[in-house]
Amino acid sequence: MTPPKEDVEPREIAEFRREVRAWMEAHKPPDPGFKLPQSFLEVESERQFDFLRNWQRKVYEAGYLGLDWPAEYGGRGDALKRQRVVSQELTRAGAPFLVNVIGLQWAGPTILVYGTDAQKKRMLQPILSAEEIWCQGFSEPGSGSDLASAQARAEKQPDGSYRVTGHKVWTTLAHHAKWMILLARTDPNAGKYEGLSFFLFPMDVPGVTVQPLIKMTGEGGFNQVIFDSAPMPADALLGKEGQGWQVALTTLLYERGAAEGSGGGQASASGEGIRRVVSVARRAARENGSAAADPVFRDRMAQLWIEEEALRLSAMRMRIPALTADRPHALQLMNKLVFSEYYQRLTDLACEMLGPDGALWLGEPSAPDRAEWPRAYMNSFGMTIGGGTSEILRNILGERVLGLPKTR
Amino acid sequence: MRQIPIDFGFREEHDLLRKEARRFLGERCPMSEVRRLADDPLGHDPTLWKEIGGLGWLGVALPEAYGGAGLGSVALCLLLDEMGRRLVPSPFLASLLASFAIDAGGSESQKALWLPEIASGTRIATLALTEPSGGFEPDSVRATASPCEGGFVLRGQKTHVQDARNAGLVVAPFREPSGQVSIFAIELPSPGVVIEAEVGVDPTRRSARVAFEGTRVGASARLEAPGAAALEHAHVRGFAALAAEMVGAADATLELTRQYAIDRKQFGHPIGFFQAVKHPIVDVMVGVELARNHALGAAAAIDHADPCKAESASRMAKAMASDVFSLAVRKGVQLHGGYGFTIDCDVHHYFKRALWSRATLGDAPHHRHRLAAMLVDRDVLASGAP
Repeated sequence: MTPPKEDVEPREIAEFRREVRAWMEAHKPPDPGFKLPQSFLEVESERQFDFLRNWQRKVYEAGYLGLDWPAEYGGRGDALKRQRVVSQELTRAGAPFLVNVIGLQWAGPTILVYGTDAQKKRMLQPILSAEEIWCQGFSEPGSGSDLASAQARAEKQPDGSYRVTGHKVWTTLAHHAKWMILLARTDPNAGKYEGLSFFLFPMDVPGVTVQPLIKMTGEGGFNQVIFDSAPMPADALLGKEGQGWQVALTTLLYERGAAEGSGGGQASASGEGIRRVVSVARRAARENGSAAADPVFRDRMAQLWIEEEALRLSAMRMRIPALTADRPHALQLMNKLVFSEYYQRLTDLACEMLGPDGALWLGEPSAPDRAEWPRAYMNSFGMTIGGGTSEILRNILGERVLGLPKTR
Repeated sequence: MRQIPIDFGFREEHDLLRKEARRFLGERCPMSEVRRLADDPLGHDPTLWKEIGGLGWLGVALPEAYGGAGLGSVALCLLLDEMGRRLVPSPFLASLLASFAIDAGGSESQKALWLPEIASGTRIATLALTEPSGGFEPDSVRATASPCEGGFVLRGQKTHVQDARNAGLVVAPFREPSGQVSIFAIELPSPGVVIEAEVGVDPTRRSARVAFEGTRVGASARLEAPGAAALEHAHVRGFAALAAEMVGAADATLELTRQYAIDRKQFGHPIGFFQAVKHPIVDVMVGVELARNHALGAAAAIDHADPCKAESASRMAKAMASDVFSLAVRKGVQLHGGYGFTIDCDVHHYFKRALWSRATLGDAPHHRHRLAAMLVDRDVLASGAP
């Protein structure tokens, strides 16, 4: 055997982790006393939004966001790429999530790839500080999994500006957003893919109507947006006209966690999920003791522990090209599929272990963990459906990683 | 709690070994050879065995002082992944497991006596763990070792002993009158050791029942270190090793199925066009890659992390590999259709290996049972994940 290493991480990473961990402990906001959203999919009230925005600003001001982004655009140009350390520590501390998820994780990285210098200078810093919130206009009532069939029109005006007419759905955070990443058709006569363009659309123009959609949990925060000849300047275009599908695919890579470059966020697999489920099991009374003593539940908890650890190991292994040489992008491309399905099983298990109490809902004082588990289970479908359904992701994996014939 | 290093302790030379193994086995152990050896009375090719011994593969993770290469468990993991792909019929795993027990429990002189011979392949060895009760963990040892003039008398049955009929050394745990478990290394053939071949489901893995009927051994046959702890360490390395081999075999099954889904046409399309075929193949691929994460994680934990982490990691690896290999062969046969159901289709070799592998050294429910005890009763996560 080779001799054990002194530590599991290089010293400068470990030191930084200690620093961030201490900061989180000292600055993590206390329970505000009102219901907080579980994720960015259900930010309803102004006070929820303000609370979360203030938290992100605080993390940014401490210097813990945009670490991996260039300094000239408000980032910190960190040579060691330590943003992921912050992400892991945010999760570990059980801190509130960073509300500008779409800006930090999807729009920002896409702008860094395709944006002009002016666009980067204008857009990126306010994403980090949460001064400007972003939403995403991709899906439409008739274009879900078949995203490239999107019909929203961006019609070019004689002065080079555009007018948008159409209907976007599942627009999380649209009611708080200053900007939208928008996929719209600039050339209805071109092919399905070639007719699309990608825009950085200002939400505060006339002709934009944001209407709430209510999720199965009864929570809002989810919207549809209707555009009626809404104006947008020429420089709203990201990349070239007709390049929209290519740019959107880049965004989707970030959205699915398949590419690195996030300005900040929470780590998915961390060991926290299973720890919390064990805590539920200990408290869940069953006929012959607690769920923690039930062999069936113990088996399922062990299985989830295995899956959670497999995801954690994926994040390590995907950084080592020689250990992924046979299927170079498989771990990245399967990450969202595996995490979302694992998380769905985890929340489902917690509900089931709770027995009759697992059927209690928000507002019932005796509901365990304020009915967090049935709520989380329902909300977990946001992850298995949003950003490409599990079914679409299986197509992508089959075709791009395994070379199976295209379904479409 | 000492964790797994973020780079798994992986080094470039580990990858050279993997590439070399892939090339060598591609030439020396094609499927035609596996089919031939499946029907061979000996069950392996002594020439190939000699070559493998010469390549030093048996000693990859053994200390250099005892004829090993000292490359560590990650290198071994990559090597076994390649060997699993090719279903190499050989006493490799049996010898490896025996070497783990001697490495963990032997004194300097015991290690010096046995390990170089095992590492070079000149002596085939095996580790006899399972007893008629079905148990194989240290707490289920019922075979006994009674002290006698100049040594011990061994009594008891061991079952499912790999390659016992080819082995020149059997390593096995016995319980002493004090109740403590000790590991013994017994040269074969030996009077009082009766070996009877078992008919196994996988003809590329040969096993036997080994009866110790009052076998007399010298005092030096008893490994020096306390047996239970040494056995646990050997187990952990064994779980990780077998898991790595299973991942490779599952991946090869996946590859056969993937290729068939491209080549076979029905309704005017390659069958892989249909999502009812495509999606299960993807599920196998996802499982294989996650199981490979665990195989690597277990190897890295054995070399770098503390024993508790190494135990949970290797049990996870064996549990996940067992489930994933089973899924791979189940889908493999099914998606090959009528052809998959025949002896002409190579998938059945993998199917049989999967049945053997998951039943050996603990199946997924067994390891999840032990993991749940660590997770819920011992609360190992409370000490802090990274």
